Amino acid sequence: MSAHAGTIDHHHDHTTTTGIPNKKLFMWAFLASDCMFFGALISTHVIYRLHPTPEGADPTKLFSIELTSFSTFILLMSSLLMALAVGASQKGKVEATRKMLLGTIFFGLIFLGCQVYEFTHFVHKGLTLKSDMFGSTFYTLTGTHGVHVAIGVLWLVLMYIRTFKPTDAGKAWVTRAVVQFMAFAVAVVSIMFVMLAVTHAGAEHGYTLSSVVHALQHDAITSGAALAFAVSTVLLFTLGRSTWAVDFGEANAIDVEGMGLYWHFVDIVWIVIFTVVYLLEYL
Amino acid sequence: MSSTVSETTQEHAHADDGKFHLFVQIAMILAVITGVEIVLIYLPIVKWLVVSMLVLLSLVKFLLVIFWFMHLKFDKLFCTILFFIGLVLAGGTVAALLAIFSPHDSVPLSAQAIYAERAAAAK
Repeated sequence: MSAHAGTIDHHHDHTTTTGIPNKKLFMWAFLASDCMFFGALISTHVIYRLHPTPEGADPTKLFSIELTSFSTFILLMSSLLMALAVGASQKGKVEATRKMLLGTIFFGLIFLGCQVYEFTHFVHKGLTLKSDMFGSTFYTLTGTHGVHVAIGVLWLVLMYIRTFKPTDAGKAWVTRAVVQFMAFAVAVVSIMFVMLAVTHAGAEHGYTLSSVVHALQHDAITSGAALAFAVSTVLLFTLGRSTWAVDFGEANAIDVEGMGLYWHFVDIVWIVIFTVVYLLEYL
Repeated sequence: MSSTVSETTQEHAHADDGKFHLFVQIAMILAVITGVEIVLIYLPIVKWLVVSMLVLLSLVKFLLVIFWFMHLKFDKLFCTILFFIGLVLAGGTVAALLAIFSPHDSVPLSAQAIYAERAAAAK
């Protein structure tokens, strides 16, 4: 399958001995090694679950299968957006690449938010890294995966900023791109606060317009979050209009593809973790 | 000439749409399989069958992501070989560890004493 709209064959590199681009070959070799890393962590968790210590926590009383299912679905959809970002970059479509990268970042942040919420809930219930063997293996495994996702999100952010590099080297583009991304991050976090407040108000007083307005005025944090969302959204759309020619195109698709390989790997590791760590506990 | 160029452009556009739809379809299949897995654990069927089906469904999701989303199907065979070397080594390590540590002899001595006490108390 060669690139359709472009001039580069993204699956063959004539300059290398194997015909495979070096960056892609390196990434596949790294992912193969990461398989062994996660294999060791997963097998450790499974072994200690086969013989649980008598005073250990009961996972089925802690787990929320709804939350975990939701975060699994979110990560799957982020994988879709990442695949579309790679496809867009291979066609030299910079705007589409940016949108798909932002979408992947957004879904990745939601997944991380769900993990943080889940860990906070577990710690509140007494499950910590040293409370029992289940806590040790669970947090080591899922925490390592979470760190992989966080590194992936950081890499995506850097990739997104990179898409704004102008062909004219004299332009101060980094600051503007960073400010734009900060606006995006503020918009994401603030809308999460607002939605949480509206959900709580709706659960208490019913989902009506007056309860939504009351929720937004209820405390300074929610009001501030609503204002921050409005301001950051305007800033995002204003700064997102890059009118200059950028030094990013089809030639950079190999970098986006390498990023994509890492992100999809993180997704397939979660597929295994979701089944082995969460679903099997219910049997 | 211009009609040939426009036909080629249309073919490319169709191919691009096809790839987009393929990715979306695969994502929907992955979501459906995840839903099936969640329902499966609550069904009143024998445990070995549930575990086997969960493993099979996870394998299907795994293969869909690596061969289509990660483009392994369309890349050179060497990439597949390289990744599967790591995967086979990882799988072999997992299998070996489970074979070594799963028997009853691997239960910690302190835990054995407590299990024996509880079993005696239950009688």
